Amino acid sequence: MDYTFQYGQVWPYLPYLIKGAWLSLQIAFLAFCGGMLIGTVCAAVKTFGGGFSRHAVNAYVVFFVNTPQLVQIYFLYFALPDLGIFLSSYMAVLLGMTLNAGAYLTEIQRAGFESRRQSEMEAAEVLGFSRLQQIRYVILPHVAKVLFPPLSNHYILMTLGTSMAAIFGVEELTGRAFNINSETFRSLEVFSIVAVIYVFVTLIASVALALFGKFAFRTKMRVV
Amino acid sequence: MAHLELDKVSAAYGKLRVLDGIELSVAKGETVGLIGPSGSGKSTILRVLTGLLKPETGSVRVAGETINFDKPADIRTLRNRTAIVFQQYNLFQNLTVLENVMIAPIKVHGRKRSEVQAEAENLLEKVGLANKLESYPDQLSGGQQQRVAIARGLCLKPEILLLDEVTAALDPELVSEVLDTIRELAAEGMTMVIVSHEMGFIREISARVAFMADGKVVELGAPADIFDAPNQDRTRDFVGKILRH
Ligand SMILES: Nc1ncnc2c1ncn2[C@@H]1O[C@H](COP(=O)(O)OP(=O)(O)OP(=O)(O)O)[C@@H](O)[C@H]1O
Ligand SMILES: [Mg+2]
Repeated sequence: MDYTFQYGQVWPYLPYLIKGAWLSLQIAFLAFCGGMLIGTVCAAVKTFGGGFSRHAVNAYVVFFVNTPQLVQIYFLYFALPDLGIFLSSYMAVLLGMTLNAGAYLTEIQRAGFESRRQSEMEAAEVLGFSRLQQIRYVILPHVAKVLFPPLSNHYILMTLGTSMAAIFGVEELTGRAFNINSETFRSLEVFSIVAVIYVFVTLIASVALALFGKFAFRTKMRVV
Repeated sequence: MAHLELDKVSAAYGKLRVLDGIELSVAKGETVGLIGPSGSGKSTILRVLTGLLKPETGSVRVAGETINFDKPADIRTLRNRTAIVFQQYNLFQNLTVLENVMIAPIKVHGRKRSEVQAEAENLLEKVGLANKLESYPDQLSGGQQQRVAIARGLCLKPEILLLDEVTAALDPELVSEVLDTIRELAAEGMTMVIVSHEMGFIREISARVAFMADGKVVELGAPADIFDAPNQDRTRDFVGKILRH
């Protein structure tokens, strides 16, 4: 092997790549927030609701957890137009990732809701807490603490998952890497830089989340 | 007048009948001990007295007033008058020791924070935890958690204190500290129902002792009668076994 690395050709694109990384972070963040909204409602329905609403949520979760995310986005981007619904590639990716996240976050949060401790609820009840106070002082802090690590993990996974957007021509980090690659043909250089940017971005997020968790919930999380 | 009165109280968990026609009354300022084999329904009586379990039949009276378990206002009255220290402590894991003790007086009873804090610190010092105010329950030993639970109960200034095996998780040194605290409360005229396997302590502190088996009060009487001259075979059996240990 006598490949000579020529990073010189690729360096000038660094700001361009970093802007792409910023878009990746945006997609991950928006999809995560949307997914949290869906997940919280669905988890509440699964835990406390009944009848039709529960079946509907179950169907949604089973469907989205058991099909590849890529296929889900393909469906939104290529199949929906046949039904007269046109989404931009960005919107298709965002919506697909949001719906997918919603399904996973439903399952994660349901486990959290179910871990609420009967003994503490009883103590609160006996001490005279109202239903709202029980939720505010006992259920939420506990559930938030239990959920924080798995939610953080999922958020990191989603950040990496945004690279799928490249397939649909969205110019996030991976998409921009494709572009540079087809201009320079320095694949090794381009993708090694991109890999380092991904590592950097997720590491920062992991450390920030771990610190926040330690401060807010006294959780001990492994960063790497 | 009896401070606390159970009249033919029966209760069940699902189909399992756990209390079967309980008759028990506790006078104001009296301490009644509950003893009996595991599963006999001692904790369940305390759950009924705190409104956690609704009796199927029978009535519960507090200071002469019959509690309607379907009426939230009645349950609230019941809970305002009583405090329970659970067998499993049931502390709030996400709150510090001090916050565990302070939260109900502040949030439920709307008392002033500064005043409650002074009291809470005082109570925690009394149970030997002055240096643990900022610790979380999972950083404490079982016995220490037990004492936090006692302080939490006392900070409510209840008229009636229900104690479920409060010495089970304590080492001998602490047992005597906690027992001293309970003795003081008894001397101050607190009405108490105490569940315990600590026969020596039950005997010393109780005005009367109820021996329970299979959800019934088998025998009720002065400690000397229950421990030295029981009328019922089951009582004799149980007391004999326990004292031989
Ligand atoms: N939450 C529950 N659901 C169903 N059954 C229960 C529940 N709690 C208690 N029981 C049952 O009720 C019966 C009485 O239990 P209880 O806790 O009152 O006994 P106890 O006298 O306090 O025993 P111990 O000395 O072991 O604490 C037991 O048979 C127990 O299995
Ligand atoms: Mg018990």
